[in-house]
Amino acid sequence: MKKSIAVALCAVMTMGMVGTCTTVFAAEEPDPTTDEAVVKAAEEEWEIAVVPKDSTNPWFVRMDTGVKEFADKTGVNCYQIDTGTIDATKQAQLVEDLIAQDVDAICVVPVDMQSMDSTLKKAKDAGIVVITHEGADLTNVDYDIEAFSNEGYGAFIMQNLAEAMGEEGVYTTMVASLTNGSHNEWADAAVEYQKEHYPNMTLLEENPRVESDDNGDTAYNVAKELIKTYPDLKGIMGTSSFDAPGVARAIQELGLVDKFFTSGTGMPADNAELLKSGVLKSLTLWDPAKSGAAMVDLACKVLNGEEIAAPANLYVDGYTEMNFREGSETVLEGQGWITIDAENVDDLGF
Amino acid sequence: MSQSLLKAEHVKISFGNVHALRDVSLEILPGEIHCLAGENGCGKSTIIKIISGVYQRDGGTIEFDGKKLEKISPIDAINMGIQVIYQDFALFPNLTVAENLALNTELASRKKTVSWKNVRKIAEEAVAKINFDVDLDEKVEKLSVAQKQMVAISRALMSNARLIIMDEPTTALTKKEVNSLFKIILKLKEQGIAILFISHKLNEVFEISDRFTIFRNGEMVATGSTKDLDDKKFTYYMTGREFNDQIFVPENMSEKPVFELKNLTLEGAFEAINFSLRRGEILGITGLLDSGRTELALSMFGLKPADSGEILKEGTPIKITNPRDAIEHKIGYVPEDRLSEGLFLTQSIGDNIIISEIDKLKKKNGQFDLKKRDEEIKRWVAELEIKTKNPDNPATTLSGGNQQRIVLAKWLACNLDVLILNGPTVGVDIGSKHDIHMVLQKLAKQGLGVIIISDDLPEVIQNCNRVLVIKNGKIRSEYDTQKVSEQMIIDDMM
Amino acid sequence: MKKKVKKIFQSNEPYIFLIIIILGIVVQIRSGQFFTGNNIVDLLSAMIVPGLFAIAEFMALISGGIDVSFPALASLSAYATTKILLDKGYEGNVFLAFLIAVLIGALLGAINGYFIGYLNLNAMIVTLGTSSIFQGFMQGTLRANQLSVIPQGMKKFGTDSFITATNKVNGLSSVLPYTFLILIIVCALMFFVLRYTIFGRGIYAIGGNALSAHTAGFNVKRTKFIMYIIIGMIASIGGICRVCMMQQCHPTNMLGMEMNIIAGVVLGGVALTGGAGTLTGCMLGTFLIILVQNSMILLGIPTTWSDVFVGLVIVIGVSLTALQSSRTSRSKKKAVKEGA
Repeated sequence: MKKSIAVALCAVMTMGMVGTCTTVFAAEEPDPTTDEAVVKAAEEEWEIAVVPKDSTNPWFVRMDTGVKEFADKTGVNCYQIDTGTIDATKQAQLVEDLIAQDVDAICVVPVDMQSMDSTLKKAKDAGIVVITHEGADLTNVDYDIEAFSNEGYGAFIMQNLAEAMGEEGVYTTMVASLTNGSHNEWADAAVEYQKEHYPNMTLLEENPRVESDDNGDTAYNVAKELIKTYPDLKGIMGTSSFDAPGVARAIQELGLVDKFFTSGTGMPADNAELLKSGVLKSLTLWDPAKSGAAMVDLACKVLNGEEIAAPANLYVDGYTEMNFREGSETVLEGQGWITIDAENVDDLGF
Repeated sequence: MSQSLLKAEHVKISFGNVHALRDVSLEILPGEIHCLAGENGCGKSTIIKIISGVYQRDGGTIEFDGKKLEKISPIDAINMGIQVIYQDFALFPNLTVAENLALNTELASRKKTVSWKNVRKIAEEAVAKINFDVDLDEKVEKLSVAQKQMVAISRALMSNARLIIMDEPTTALTKKEVNSLFKIILKLKEQGIAILFISHKLNEVFEISDRFTIFRNGEMVATGSTKDLDDKKFTYYMTGREFNDQIFVPENMSEKPVFELKNLTLEGAFEAINFSLRRGEILGITGLLDSGRTELALSMFGLKPADSGEILKEGTPIKITNPRDAIEHKIGYVPEDRLSEGLFLTQSIGDNIIISEIDKLKKKNGQFDLKKRDEEIKRWVAELEIKTKNPDNPATTLSGGNQQRIVLAKWLACNLDVLILNGPTVGVDIGSKHDIHMVLQKLAKQGLGVIIISDDLPEVIQNCNRVLVIKNGKIRSEYDTQKVSEQMIIDDMM
Repeated sequence: MKKKVKKIFQSNEPYIFLIIIILGIVVQIRSGQFFTGNNIVDLLSAMIVPGLFAIAEFMALISGGIDVSFPALASLSAYATTKILLDKGYEGNVFLAFLIAVLIGALLGAINGYFIGYLNLNAMIVTLGTSSIFQGFMQGTLRANQLSVIPQGMKKFGTDSFITATNKVNGLSSVLPYTFLILIIVCALMFFVLRYTIFGRGIYAIGGNALSAHTAGFNVKRTKFIMYIIIGMIASIGGICRVCMMQQCHPTNMLGMEMNIIAGVVLGGVALTGGAGTLTGCMLGTFLIILVQNSMILLGIPTTWSDVFVGLVIVIGVSLTALQSSRTSRSKKKAVKEGA
């Protein structure tokens, strides 16, 4: 309870600071047990499986917490099941297994869009409800949930990076891989936002996007190489939760604190030290526990046969006013982003 | 009579239901060269493995140096002075000559570390024993077969050997190399070391050995002094059959040549080769290993197209740039290494037979005609007397001679006019060898033109009516086989 | 003397070395940053963990086997070690971490060694299997997730500077941690073992001809068993080095390294069929891979094409060495023929 209030508070605080958000947060913690679809789901014992990218990334450990909490609170039969490593093939196999087990709904955070799409088609054909997260390009889904619009989040990261860089200098963008859906959308949006709002910043022309393989060590080595090659480079925008922390290690080793900057997604507890020592000025985030819970709630609604109309309330913080992405009938976007900095990093509890 | 060095009597061993040795005896005298002969599967290798401690016998007695041996372990055998040089030499191809020579000694000394100085010293001593001149730092894989054999012999000598067993040591050697091997064997004999020499080559047995023993089907059929042995007896002991060796006389020879070469040249291999072949003839081509004979065979079949010159078929010039051309002109080729080149070993015997006539086994609609396939296979299995219970078994299940026959069948299935065979009976035992020769002679008499390329001179002389000797890529001489001796050919080859 | 020089050029190493130098010069021309102290230090520090893994893989390949389980093995032993030390609140120096990891590594290596050595099973299949088991154990039994905090001693060891190289032009200073010393020590030790001990020569002998090694008196089974134990130990040392340097322990981010490591070792002239290759070649080949992976940006290769480029270097490198060795054997044959 305390935790979620803290998250909500800090989210509100951040929104106020950044000023791009028009949403008014519900003053009270939304309660999924008041959602009749959820009550029905618990009664009917619908089985809802959540498949994250992998199980060891703290991100998805946190998602697991959210799913478990949802299950405990509501009595819905939902659980997270995962593959050991980030591997598109293994993930597809796991989903196939779930189809064979005939679960009622599958919620997926896909590793690879294309291969997952064909697997999900089988699920849909088998009459299973499919909800995804961070998979806006997928076609064979009932709905895809995004914590926020990718444009909004990309812009949000850029705001954080620009603030650290003093709104001037050369920067580049880092993604887990060039085939990663959401990372590239964030990076695109961030670049777009920079062009509109920060005329003194420029994107590194020679190498506008690099890969970190979702691996802190790669991010670290790539950052070192970038810094060597381009003396004018002053900042790296990270997307995966390994990017900014990996870059921060390079900044620290090369003696570039306060001269070179990075911001991007990252887990609070893992990076508390980097934030407090000033190597990292800020990280951006949404709460995977909430995304997990929101997916399950939406799955309940679809299973219950409800029509999803915007703004949809998924009874989860930041997901209470879901709107359809422009031109899409499946992608629902919320407003669940937050900034983490030295001040609030210890308050988040994960 | 002096006391024997090794005396094995009534030795028996079986693996499962297979009686590999029913009852064999073998006696070797100190310092003698003893030949052990027999066809494949007669139990030669098995007795070696029993003597050297790899297998344990089921029955019989073995005495070494007058002492009865109950159970022999590999280490016991080595300690007694028994050394085996296997066909693959059991060397380490990736290590240097020096290390190959010294490794056993270093191991035996039970030290934990290697002194490279010491390795060199041991190796130098080892090669000195047989005056073997070799770069000690060269890796063994880069040596020739003969050099590898020398390394193996040098190594065997290091542990005070009293009996050296050589398992078919001449298989992959050239004539020259065989001669120098024999010199070394004689030298070892002078030093009082007994040699057990395994071979199924008649001429070698006569040339080198003092005494002989012959096995057949896991039993000893003959033993005694080589002086008392002749060709006929040898062959009879080996196979249990009698063959009458007559030099091939062609019948039904065609008037005009079916196949001719005019000034055929391949840079660096052979030049200006001229000959003609008539139907019904068997033409022999012989020469040393590097004389260009193999390249010539490959050129005639399009595997290594010639640079210049002409190939004529029935009097008209033809172009052969790849094996398809050759097959189209009804020219077939049986390669030297039948196992790697001529057969799909894991495929069935039947499929191997029909592979080269597969185009003809189509129905009108392009479908594969299974009935016709089975008929063809049946026909050739019978025609060539291939010994198999089931043509659907993989080709690996056959013996060497039968495998060779499949390769033959495969080619004859496409109604050839000319058949070129390169070393047709390498590695084939006497019985099968004879059978293959009979098949070839029968085919020639039916009107096929046959070319046998071989350095097995008795084979060439007996099965061909003419023989060409190639030296350094050129035809040195041509003989009528009725009027030639082995020595004449050897003189021309060298 | 001349013969010796000729022999050196018949081997792979000088060619790989040449490729490294040429690539270095190309990077230098493109970026002006190759032959700078900090870049060399960056490369050396990127080499530490792959270098240790390469030594382990090298032994497996020399013996005619292969090991694809070392990333999982290293992950498991490093993770377990870090977790144990964290749970006990250990504050002492790094020595204990290495000791525990090496013990775990030896145990896990012994599993590989038992199946490959004593039961004579195919090394590829065994290590594929144990790789899954090690991963599964980590995820299932240990419920491993990222450890963001590691014991103080490990952290200090991974970040303290052994050599610091500062680039005077741009002021960047790269740190080579003490873990580099570990690589040097392990490398020197294994060089000695492989060259000067009967055990080490036994590994070569087994790779050359296992049957002959047996008849020559080597205990083939035991040698393989012990070798896989040593491989497990070295891999675990690599795992701990990685954790120290990353200042965090991630249970899966070493997985998948095996293919590039094997590629590097083979590039260095080590035969997949066993027996042939030198430790020098192995290290050079690995360094070449590291060099290529860490020079993409310096070279100005677009991210989209970097995988293609790494692949190309591997293929070209292997082809060059293959071409070179076939050339020497051909010239040799010719010489024999002319001599006759």
